[in-house]
Amino acid sequence: MKIFGFHLMPYDGVPPEHFAGTDSSWVTLSNALFDPHRGSQLYQRYLAELVTYDQVGFDGVCVNEHHQTPYGLMPAPNVIAAVLVPQTSGTIAILGNALPLRDHPLRVAEEVAMLDLISGGRIVSGFVRGIGAEYHTFGLDPSTSRERFYEAHDLIVAAWTKPGPFEWYGKHYKFRYVNPWPRPLQQPHPPIWSPSQGSGETVDWAARNRYTYLQTYSDISTVRRVFDEFRAAAAGYGYTAAPEQIGWSVPVFVADTDERAEAIALPALSTLFNGLIRMPRDLFFPAGYLTPASAARVMAGKRALGSGDTDVRDLAGRGYAVIGSPDTVRQRLEEYQRELGFGCLCGVFQFGSLSHEDFTDSVHLFAQKVMPALRGGAPDGH
Amino acid sequence: MTTSSVPVSLAEPAERMIDVRGRRVRLAQAGRGEPLVYLHGSGDLGDWTPALELLARDFTVYRPDHPGFGRSDDDPSVDSVLDMAFSYLDLFDRLGLDRVSLAGISLGGWIAAQLAVLEPARVAKLVLVGPAGLRADVPVPDVFTLDPVRQAELLYYQPKIRAVAMALAAAIPDDAELFQRYLRNRMASAHLAWNPYFHDPKLAARLHRVSAPVLVIWGAHDRLLPVAHADRWARALPGARLEIFTESGHLPPAEEPQAFASVVRGFLTEGAAL
Repeated sequence: MKIFGFHLMPYDGVPPEHFAGTDSSWVTLSNALFDPHRGSQLYQRYLAELVTYDQVGFDGVCVNEHHQTPYGLMPAPNVIAAVLVPQTSGTIAILGNALPLRDHPLRVAEEVAMLDLISGGRIVSGFVRGIGAEYHTFGLDPSTSRERFYEAHDLIVAAWTKPGPFEWYGKHYKFRYVNPWPRPLQQPHPPIWSPSQGSGETVDWAARNRYTYLQTYSDISTVRRVFDEFRAAAAGYGYTAAPEQIGWSVPVFVADTDERAEAIALPALSTLFNGLIRMPRDLFFPAGYLTPASAARVMAGKRALGSGDTDVRDLAGRGYAVIGSPDTVRQRLEEYQRELGFGCLCGVFQFGSLSHEDFTDSVHLFAQKVMPALRGGAPDGH
Repeated sequence: MTTSSVPVSLAEPAERMIDVRGRRVRLAQAGRGEPLVYLHGSGDLGDWTPALELLARDFTVYRPDHPGFGRSDDDPSVDSVLDMAFSYLDLFDRLGLDRVSLAGISLGGWIAAQLAVLEPARVAKLVLVGPAGLRADVPVPDVFTLDPVRQAELLYYQPKIRAVAMALAAAIPDDAELFQRYLRNRMASAHLAWNPYFHDPKLAARLHRVSAPVLVIWGAHDRLLPVAHADRWARALPGARLEIFTESGHLPPAEEPQAFASVVRGFLTEGAAL
């Protein structure tokens, strides 16, 4: 199994009472709460933490894109990736660039190609739509999101693989000259990953394109169902999905004992789920972001998430996080691996409000006492 | 939304699906007399309301679901209110309506105004009820961030009507078919009005093309498009008559249906023999 370290770069300086006093920590939570001095220090600390993943032997590091929120300070993941290139030796997975939020997808094609060349071919290029709230951030009609995502993706892949110049005449993008210099080092293009919360359309799209599908923030029954759907979709397209094509992103925390791990991680998990993810349903799933049919299903299912009163111990028990002693975490991940058949684990070791020391101890314990067993284990039955 | 308790016997309107250039439009129709096309608002779930019933006593009232809304088909060619106006010209052709009066409310008012700009000669009289379409320099709530209950709370002024509307709104997700209609309306509204928010920066400069007599109706307590917007319309349409409804929020036909129908009837029959 491949092991990646994911980092959300949360802003840790919002007093808890501000979360309690607002219905959203996205879009409208005032940036007057952002202290630039603290922010500057956090970037230094978080970049060092990302480098730690690389130093202790993870296969790669993961960065992502979010806007107007203390949930994450990475509105420009390609900038963070560029800073990491000279400081790391493993894979840098950008999970991902939010394509519909860009006016010009060729910018993404250019930036990722540059990163791929400068890093010597160490880039994984994730593509996402951006979450619903970000369509409020950019004043972008959410009902065009899926169309823009597919078309931007098709354009970027064509720009990477098809000799230019050529004309692109799409519905949302029309360019007389597509001919980016440079082209990426990895051929035909950097690996493409598709992180998602499990929408049927995205699962099918990732399987059809033989991309790596990465499931985020879900209970274990949902993870199981979605991975099964992905394998079934792959079979429908005439091939068997490899374990490396199936990834799971989950908060992980390791300490000497289960008790100590829970004592440290559960408050941080609460900050994540009850503070940083907090947003009203109509911000989370804006008009047309999902098809009406999907919206009816998802809006019923996600009522608890982001409402501010989530029981995080219960969440952790249901697979939203893996927390415990090295033995506990290893056993749970081995069980999940056997059961779910994923070949990529993207552990979110920094979440909510964990201190640098707790993060560092957790990552070292994981690298020494958990990772070797997971690396050796091949998923059975898949 | 039907929220009024006005004692009107609701005769069933005739409902049918009309094929307009390959796409089906749901049309409710009732009454007799000169044609009056009612263009609904963005949250309207398709009910035949007491206000429509009252108007149908004197006019042939047509109430289509906009393309992409309610029970009408999606129309991929509609990306803007201008596109919507073109699709309505096709519907009018299909119905043989050479010249019609229009009553449009909220989003529907914007569509009606756009139609009257596009083909002025086709519009006999124009009634705009709390129309979207113009921007005023006053704060407006972002309805796209609000759930149905909060929207209902802002929509209505009279406490009893508001309470009923909020209870009905809370129950929308429990009715799968109704919830689908709500979600379709929400998506189609976003497609037309997400950004710029419920207006067209170019509309004001084009309204001089409207040739029909215009009646502008506004609820004094409108919290979605505050009554300050009425001044913008009055400036852009100097000949328009303005009527403020003192017991209404954003939807005077729902809160004061009899006064609404009476004012509209008076305006539409002025200078004409019924």
